[in-house]
Amino acid sequence: MDEELKRKIEKIYKDTEVEFPERNRMVVKTKKASILSILEFLKREGFRQLKAISCVDWIKECEFELIYHLAPLNSPLHIMVKIRIERKNAETETILKIFENAKVYEREIHELFGVKFKGNPDLSPLFLENWHDLPPFRKDFDTRKYVKKTFDEIPSVEDRNERT
Amino acid sequence: MLKKHLTKFHLWRIEMRELELYFGPQHPGMVGNFSITLKVEGDRILEAIPNPGYLHRGFEKLMELRNWIQNFPFVCRINVIEPDSMEAVYAMAVEKLANIQIPERAKYIRTIVLELGRLASHLFGAWAYANMLGFDTPAQWAMADRDHILDLFEELTGGRVYHIYILPGGVRRDLPDGFEEKVMHFLHGLASKLPDYNETFFENRIFYERAKDIGKIKKEEAIEWAATGQVLRATGVKHDIRKIEPYFAYDKVEFDIPTRADGDAYSRILVIRDEMLESAKIIMQCIEKMPEGKVYERTPNPFKWKIPEGETYVRVESSRGELGLYLVSNGGNTPYRVHFKTPSFNHGLFILPKLLKGASIADVGNIMISLYVVAPEIDR
Repeated sequence: MDEELKRKIEKIYKDTEVEFPERNRMVVKTKKASILSILEFLKREGFRQLKAISCVDWIKECEFELIYHLAPLNSPLHIMVKIRIERKNAETETILKIFENAKVYEREIHELFGVKFKGNPDLSPLFLENWHDLPPFRKDFDTRKYVKKTFDEIPSVEDRNERT
Repeated sequence: MLKKHLTKFHLWRIEMRELELYFGPQHPGMVGNFSITLKVEGDRILEAIPNPGYLHRGFEKLMELRNWIQNFPFVCRINVIEPDSMEAVYAMAVEKLANIQIPERAKYIRTIVLELGRLASHLFGAWAYANMLGFDTPAQWAMADRDHILDLFEELTGGRVYHIYILPGGVRRDLPDGFEEKVMHFLHGLASKLPDYNETFFENRIFYERAKDIGKIKKEEAIEWAATGQVLRATGVKHDIRKIEPYFAYDKVEFDIPTRADGDAYSRILVIRDEMLESAKIIMQCIEKMPEGKVYERTPNPFKWKIPEGETYVRVESSRGELGLYLVSNGGNTPYRVHFKTPSFNHGLFILPKLLKGASIADVGNIMISLYVVAPEIDR
């Protein structure tokens, strides 16, 4: 089944690479433009559940990587469909029309990475309150600096002893 | 005169129609730090908006700053009720990236620990459900039985709730003397209490009336909404990661996947009950078949441990459904990106509002607990 699916995908989508990094895992690297049609194709092939959407910040290459995790019900194959989008003004099409539960995952990624999903009606903050800083899960957001700025540093034991 | 009066009354009714109600985090019907904003008309819910974030600590980001072993105290705190499956999935991912094979005995011990954790989690779930609906007696029994498991864990790992027992390379130490007998004694005790549990809770007529046809999901919907765990199995789909992609010793033991057909709250709690029996079966078989040998494969010094570049997605069947971890390493001594695919994220933020639409206020807690949503898993 796996090899056949690979042949099918590569036949329809010319700019797509399909790999099998390990047993039961398949990685489909595609372009931003063809993500909707490839997900629709995979859904028709039986990959009916969107398990999650992950986002990785590749700061050196100035790109975000979005990973759509799909799996069918009765086979151990797990597909990761990957696209790369530019870090500056990161934006991509929403997949709400294909997988309804993408709603919450897109909302999470929008909040934590600042990726915009065109066509998703609800991209309001999910976890954070009154957040005006950089999206916190980006690599250029320094957690330690933020903690120092917000909560101040705890004085060292020596300093505390001197004061008393 | 009367007509005028009636019109006024009518207008007043329209004005009072829609109300906004904050349900949780401080509410007797709410389990965990989670809240739902309800738009209600009378007793009916028009719309439910879940508000997570009370427990957001940004673990996935914090883990990028700490080395591979230091991350274990974070990982287990993502699911407070069942930390073992979290440790297991993280250890599995690290082992896969670093290409470590674990000893055979460690696989069996991990299976036993995971199943004990599942039992503890299900008992806790039964406590929450029974307690919320006012079945105080079985609720206290379930909590007491969970405490026995925590005692076992304390003896095995030193910790009651968080264990940090499963490490890359195996488990931290071998079973103490007489541990197997204690586990068997506990399991027999629990099984002997099952008729009492059935009579007072699971097969109790009052509970049946209260949970039947509540929060109903159709089979097609459950698949479409990417439900996992009991939520999916209660609609009649036989789906379990332990069977589909066996890890540890699950391919060496025999067990069934309990399912029900109705997809309502009552079916979900019965699936949970049947799963507890299966867990007990698995533990007994593991104790019987467990080989002798070492339990830990030495791993490099944690402060100098660099894991080769790569990415992996691993998954286990936690007590709430498929638990996945997408782990990326860029060849450094810390993870580059960690993303947990937790079952509660989808169940609590996506399926819960769908089920609450049209339900009554009295059923909010009922539906939420039957979906088995645990708040820290959503927030992470």
